[in-house]
Amino acid sequence: MIEVEHLSKQYGAHLAVDDISFKVDRGEIVGFLGPNGAGKSTTLRILAGFLGATRGRVRVAGYDLAEEPMKARASLGYMPETSPLYPEMRVSEYLTFRAELKLVPRGERRAAVARAMRDAGVEHVAATPIGQLSKGYRQRVGLADALVSDPPLLILDEPTAGLDPNQIREVRALVQRLGQDRTILLSTHILSEVEATCTRALVIARGRLVAEGTIEQIRAIRRPPALHVAVRGDADLALTAASAAPGVHAARTAPAPDPSPDPSPEPLLGLEIDIDPGAEAGQVTEDVVRALVEAGVGVRAITPRTESLEQVFSELTAGDPAPSAAASPPSTAASPAAPRKNRKVKR
Amino acid sequence: MRGFWPIFKRELFSLFVTPLAWVLLTAFLLVQGLHFFLIVTHFANQADLAVDAGPVQSFFGQTILPYLPLLLICPLLTMRLFAEERRSGTIEALLTAPVGTTGVVLAKYMAALVTYVIMWAPTLLYLVLIQQTGEVDWRVVAASYLGVTLVGAGYLAIGTMTSAMTQSQVLAAVLSAMALVALFMLGIGEFIFTDGPLNALCAHVSVWTQMNDFSRGIVDLRRITFDATLILVPLFVAVRAVDAWRWG
Repeated sequence: MIEVEHLSKQYGAHLAVDDISFKVDRGEIVGFLGPNGAGKSTTLRILAGFLGATRGRVRVAGYDLAEEPMKARASLGYMPETSPLYPEMRVSEYLTFRAELKLVPRGERRAAVARAMRDAGVEHVAATPIGQLSKGYRQRVGLADALVSDPPLLILDEPTAGLDPNQIREVRALVQRLGQDRTILLSTHILSEVEATCTRALVIARGRLVAEGTIEQIRAIRRPPALHVAVRGDADLALTAASAAPGVHAARTAPAPDPSPDPSPEPLLGLEIDIDPGAEAGQVTEDVVRALVEAGVGVRAITPRTESLEQVFSELTAGDPAPSAAASPPSTAASPAAPRKNRKVKR
Repeated sequence: MRGFWPIFKRELFSLFVTPLAWVLLTAFLLVQGLHFFLIVTHFANQADLAVDAGPVQSFFGQTILPYLPLLLICPLLTMRLFAEERRSGTIEALLTAPVGTTGVVLAKYMAALVTYVIMWAPTLLYLVLIQQTGEVDWRVVAASYLGVTLVGAGYLAIGTMTSAMTQSQVLAAVLSAMALVALFMLGIGEFIFTDGPLNALCAHVSVWTQMNDFSRGIVDLRRITFDATLILVPLFVAVRAVDAWRWG
């Protein structure tokens, strides 16, 4: 549905988007993730046909944006970051104007506006001037605008920016509902949003695509799967036993878990065990437990280490954009050497 | 030209739903009403004098009074066309719809031009009043209104151009007012340079001389060519300006 090849956008000496390439397939809900100023909005504006690219090629719904801009723009619904609307117009007037602008046939316009208002949940404010609406409703009107021509592709730039938690939940639910029969590309710098709504994410930093894949895959890019084990017994014995288990890449001591309500005679010891990237985590868990038990170490708890997406995001997007460091792992215990830029994860 | 009609309708709606157009309309008609009153009083007091011009010629052509307000009104009518849309961000939604830049520029410009024509429309009543007591040559009236429409069309095109070049409405208005005053001053040069090519140049761009011709029913192709240039060149620049900040 979207094909981007070597896209760059330069403003004077500033390279806002630097040679990014990606694809979004039909039916996907893809999150475009990145910190403020990473180039998300610029990329989306190019995809929506508002800005021209300095270099590169963009195809939207099969149409090349440079060669067939009208057809490409007619195939997508775009919601800009701040949902800019005309405050003097009523909601229904505005959506009728937008439907006409988007070439919705005259006979279908009324039904299209009604459907878009229903989908976005703004039917009851149809006669209200937009200037009198709250931020949340303005966002919804922006969404209704994107939906009014019933496009197969939606590009939403930070659809939940500035909304309260209830509104955010509603918009996320709406996006998921819309995603059942549409392709959606949405940008955000809120990680939980991607986790809550998207099937896949693209991570952009300093104008470059630094990672691509499902949320789990992106997490795994930065840290290999690992286990956190709470044991009772000799630390050296436990480390030696765990390190010798098949599939274990490295083992180290870690902060002990919180004291349990029924304290054991000996203090608990924490172990962090990195699993070889190629090993099957479940099997390694079994082998580690077996090795520890056989070594006479008491296993009190074992949990897979979950890397917070915030941490992964921070590591992916922070720091110097040195080509070889842009997506390289933080420790030698992590994944194999990263390619220069895009860390594409096979889906 | 895709998108012309809905954008044109929205612009007209937008102009008249806010107080700006009404304030300008009122101010304009106050000035024109005063002007008409002075002319009628003048002719009423000197009815027995043999003159080569009637009230219609005087109203449209023998004074610069009706055209001075245009130096302010035209920039105020056009200042928000693009500058406000860029400042508020609505231009992003507008230009991501399947519309062409030329269609957008022409739709906004035509909305301003129609508003300008609406501002002049009530002055037709003055001519109806004159007809109650004398004769009015409606062909001369038609030529006069063609003249004022062409003058306004050129001024509004300049305003559209400056609005497309900046995000600030105030700056857009100031820039176009400066351009219009410069054009106006160049026209006044006709009375400073009494002879030679400078006089010819100044007379050519002089709104006063132009309207003097139109108010006598003289529709000179050279004047229409000049006005068409004054309309088309700024509009072309406006289209290029919009494309420049989109694709630049």
